[in-house]
Amino acid sequence: MDERAFAAGQDFLLAAKTFWTTTMYRELRDTAAVRAPQAETMAHVAEVLEKTVLYQSFAWLERHLQRMKYAGRYGLMPYHRERRAALLNTVSGDEAALELDPDLALPAYYTGVDIHQQPGGVWRDDIAALAYERGARSTTPMLGTAHKDLHDRFTDIAVEQGAPEKVLDMGCGFGKSTQPFAQRFPDASIEAVDLSAPCVSLAAHTTQKNQAKNVRFRQMDACATDYDDESFDLVTSTMVIHEMPPKTIDAMLDEAYRVLEPGGRMVHLDFYCLPDAFRQFIYYGHARRNNEPYMPLLAETDLADVLARKGFTDIEIAPFQEASGVDMDANDAWRFPWTVIAATKPAVV
Amino acid sequence: MENAPHTSPNTPRAEQQFFDDPAMDRLMGTVMALAQEHYVLRDRVRALEGELARTKALNPAALDQEPTPEQRAETTADRSDFVEALLKPLLGQQEALGAPGRHSLKANV
Ligand SMILES: C[S@@+](CC[C@H](N)C(=O)[O-])C[C@H]1O[C@@H](n2cnc3c(N)ncnc32)[C@H](O)[C@@H]1O
Repeated sequence: MDERAFAAGQDFLLAAKTFWTTTMYRELRDTAAVRAPQAETMAHVAEVLEKTVLYQSFAWLERHLQRMKYAGRYGLMPYHRERRAALLNTVSGDEAALELDPDLALPAYYTGVDIHQQPGGVWRDDIAALAYERGARSTTPMLGTAHKDLHDRFTDIAVEQGAPEKVLDMGCGFGKSTQPFAQRFPDASIEAVDLSAPCVSLAAHTTQKNQAKNVRFRQMDACATDYDDESFDLVTSTMVIHEMPPKTIDAMLDEAYRVLEPGGRMVHLDFYCLPDAFRQFIYYGHARRNNEPYMPLLAETDLADVLARKGFTDIEIAPFQEASGVDMDANDAWRFPWTVIAATKPAVV
Repeated sequence: MENAPHTSPNTPRAEQQFFDDPAMDRLMGTVMALAQEHYVLRDRVRALEGELARTKALNPAALDQEPTPEQRAETTADRSDFVEALLKPLLGQQEALGAPGRHSLKANV
């Protein structure tokens, strides 16, 4: 597949996804508002929408546009596979900031599902991170190039209590969530861990390109790191928790508590606050269609209670505006239920 | 190179179903693949015309002009052939004589 055909094939999908995100979503929202104006439960919304051709088409497109994005004739995986050797050549150097662990056993929750419909997940193939990175540019069509903006906005919130000195980014992926910290706090020491070898490799490469010296990427389970107790004043994660089953979330939060200094802050960006039955219905459907089986389990977890029982204080769970100009109450276009989840390890226990 | 054996089974899992008739689900897949291919071709033709215009091998204005009645007439047959091929399956009629209708080898049908 030549570059032009790949770009056109992907542009077509993005245009289709944009139509889906706006026109189709609005149609669906209006249909629900007319046919089930008082719907209080997801089941009630399901009753009126699931039998409509509109919803069936909406659901079909959600699943299959994503399938085509990764696996189709002009998909990200075939595109990257065709260029495997050349592409890997550009990213594999002696990355100083990289530490791989070939013996790391990947958990079953992680290997048992190809998350967000990327065949082989973000870890199985050497080119998985490159394909994922390329694909992330169009995950949320309404954001366009502002996707970077999202991580910057999150970073602003994460450091509200002052410039951090020692940061741990859990589930850093290809480093998009880590880079803003590395760049904005050159004097801080930043550690980033992820299960995926291709992801941390790409992250370390990008860091080298940016000439950041204050950050290290390590292939490691965020639930069982090798850091000493009380090693960080800030622990973060973005878009990680919803990819974990409840027991794993529990272990990750315990680990965050352990490695935080007393008084340290933990800030996560994820999907959580679902304001009404319609959006809950859409979100649960998304989880199933996009191969995100743990999303509903997180939505049903009482996070504030979980955090309080672990001893965290100053717990804040609040909707997050992912880009400037997004009207969070309008429900005018499909969007993730972005939420910031933050808590503090008390200074005096 | 693949990093590790994939733990999910090698046999493909059945695709999710969204429409009442699973045939619709599959047909939609075919339609969308064609639509994408169509767009890729459109994009290529546009690029081709652009390149030809740039090297002055083509006058884009001439290409964009409404065809003359003569040119239209020349393509009439091709157009109706195209439309017939596209729509004739809707009639549900055989092209070569054979047994009609739906067939089953179940007992007592
Ligand atoms: C959606 S990505 C987000 C990556 C990055 N934080 C960002 O915002 O771009 C989720 C990441 O979590 C990682 N992950 C999942 N479970 C993990 C675990 N137990 N330990 C470390 N990383 C994990 C995955 O490998 C994946 O890279």
